[in-house]
Amino acid sequence: MAPGRKPKSAGPAPPSSTLVLDNGADTIKAGFVTVDDDTSDNAPRVIPNCIARDRHNKTYVGAELEKCKDFGEITFRRPVEKGFIVNWEAQKEIWDRAFFDDKAPQRCDPSTTRLVLAEQPNSLPALQTHCDQIVFEEYGFSSYYRGIGPSFNAYQDIQAIFHTPRTPDTIIDVPAEVILLVDSGYSHTTMTPILQGRPLHTAIRRLDVGGKLLTNHLTRLLSVRHFDMRNETYIVNEMKEAACYVSLDFKGDLDKTWKGTRGERRKDYATGGGIAKDYVLPDSHTRFHGIVRDHEPGAAARARKSAVSTEDILTLRNERFSVPEVLFNPTDIGLRQPGLADLVMQSLSVLPVGLWPGLLANIVVVGGNAKFVNFIQRLQVELLERVPDECVVRVARPEDPIVSTWLGAANFARHEHADRLAVTKQEYEEHGAAWVARKFALGLGVDTSR
Amino acid sequence: MNNFGVIEVASTATKTTPGWAYVPDTGPSLSATALQPKNRKRAARNTQPGLSLSDLTARQENKLRKDLEALNRDNQRDVNIPVPSSSRSSHKHTPTVRKILQSQKTFANHLDDYQALLALAESNPAAVVNNPLLFLNKPVVATPQAKSASPAPVREKGGSKRGQAAAKRAAVKAAAAAAEEEEKEERKRARQLAAEGEDVEMIDSPPAPPDEVEKLVETYPADGTILPAYRKRPPAAHPGDDDPLLVSVVPSFPTDEELRSLMTAPPLSYMDSRAAFGEEGERYPIRVFCEMCGYWGRVKCMKCGVRVCGLDCLEGHREECVTRYGL
Repeated sequence: MAPGRKPKSAGPAPPSSTLVLDNGADTIKAGFVTVDDDTSDNAPRVIPNCIARDRHNKTYVGAELEKCKDFGEITFRRPVEKGFIVNWEAQKEIWDRAFFDDKAPQRCDPSTTRLVLAEQPNSLPALQTHCDQIVFEEYGFSSYYRGIGPSFNAYQDIQAIFHTPRTPDTIIDVPAEVILLVDSGYSHTTMTPILQGRPLHTAIRRLDVGGKLLTNHLTRLLSVRHFDMRNETYIVNEMKEAACYVSLDFKGDLDKTWKGTRGERRKDYATGGGIAKDYVLPDSHTRFHGIVRDHEPGAAARARKSAVSTEDILTLRNERFSVPEVLFNPTDIGLRQPGLADLVMQSLSVLPVGLWPGLLANIVVVGGNAKFVNFIQRLQVELLERVPDECVVRVARPEDPIVSTWLGAANFARHEHADRLAVTKQEYEEHGAAWVARKFALGLGVDTSR
Repeated sequence: MNNFGVIEVASTATKTTPGWAYVPDTGPSLSATALQPKNRKRAARNTQPGLSLSDLTARQENKLRKDLEALNRDNQRDVNIPVPSSSRSSHKHTPTVRKILQSQKTFANHLDDYQALLALAESNPAAVVNNPLLFLNKPVVATPQAKSASPAPVREKGGSKRGQAAAKRAAVKAAAAAAEEEEKEERKRARQLAAEGEDVEMIDSPPAPPDEVEKLVETYPADGTILPAYRKRPPAAHPGDDDPLLVSVVPSFPTDEELRSLMTAPPLSYMDSRAAFGEEGERYPIRVFCEMCGYWGRVKCMKCGVRVCGLDCLEGHREECVTRYGL
């Protein structure tokens, strides 16, 4: 991956080890990359990015959440809001425990390490400056680059994600020539067209629907229809991840899950119609995680009637698909924004038509929401309705969409672009935070052809 | 003030009351129209004149806004989880770091600050020319192409924010004249810096000797410097290739100039990048669902206007509706 690098004539050689951080609102993806070893199969460590407190008032910071057994009524404090690091007091504590303490599992010495940090596009300048100041003045990393997360994805082997047929001697372009990246994460969903690893800033669009909003929406639906789940965000989130899917035929599925008019008992409703699922809630004594089962008519009623009820069962019907539907139709919950497919078209509409075929044929979806069943199929179907007939639309997601940005950033750290873009501590001390921010905002430029 | 012995303790909990900001008053004065409304009936509820039936009343708008705010919360109730103090010997922070660590601002506070700064720049450009926080996101690449390539920003219905943004852009342009020279220097330096660190390029060499391939390959796009032309072997010829019915229209490829301006355009601000409906608004009517069971909302409750799917759900809803509004 790394071409033969000649040592820089001026300044110290770049540090050999790089800490690659994708500091998401829900989880931090972190790992070390050294320039020499070219192992592409290393995976990052995924650390919950929160300080949590359970109902016994015990506090868990970051990775300690693994030790927690009882997630009932757990509350979270998150340093990242809307995708951007806002509360540095909490963020520093989580970083310290993960990377800088004596007993930290991924201990690193900042003075000999480069930091590559992924951030969301269109951040506020004040927050960016805070981040730069903390990195250099508090931790003292020897070299640092803060880049927008979506564009790191271009440094992966994109055509492998699409399973494009190719001969073994094909040269893999890194960064990929042209992709349209959809990043659907915890706080929001962004579209980023990327040419040669450079994001086209004027076409970046953001939809304020993310995993958090979907979980809260499911919580609200369940609280109206079943139990009060409003304090059980964690449990509802597990339920969403296990049971929700994107519907390819919304109308049809909705009809199948309707109980019918008064007095009528529709057959699909009674049998579940292939859609209804029973979700067994954790009881926090024997079961700490919920279980999804096929719908068994009458099971919930029987459990309720029997004196020694062993399990609480929730029957999920149209909640299963009407929750992720919000991504495609945000107006369903009153949010006045276009859905994903319309958003892709809006993003394309500010670009020259000549770029459309390339972008539409290379749509990559990353982020936790990409894990919903049928997500990419639905996006592809909706886009085919909107684009000219002759356009090929290919939508794909990487094997693990959550760590995809990290893997891209790790490849970036080995690429020569990292040396071109990174800022050293000396430069920061010489020119100040404003200069650093301007340099990061300028990005690669186009003057060299690659 | 005595305050009955109650001492207020600082907390990280935030209230949902909006912050304040200096906003220039450019549009027609709202207060004047409010004094002499055309339609006096339910004036408090129908704040905007000329609403059609499908538009929402102020009450419905408020309910929607509150619902969306609730959906964007991390926890159901306000919690204040202190950072557990570790026994680690704390070294001294620099003043800036200490300030950042102690700041209890939320994202909404930062956004308000930023908007206030933009509004200030609009009304008084001279005051903020040197404020780094404003121009970080606007590295002045004031080339004519960059301007032409900037998108027609998607407009919101109220449009006041967008108006600000547009005016801000004008202000930035004005300030740019002053800062341009400096910026050019900066960019030159950055480019030099990049050139210094430049490495041996890995050029994708064409797999076959060029003279042989050139016969076979029509380069598309025309060989530019930014996107290299397609140099691989084209697929084997097919007898239907010349069929006029099968010929597809290939859009002309953007020139290097266009691409260059797109790739060097500065990032949009947080507000500008938010997706919104275009000029024509939503293309389809909003779908409504049953509040109780989630099926299509086909029936409206006469009391409160909530949609339900049928009699069963309506009865379920009535129980709640009666407790809230009375019989």
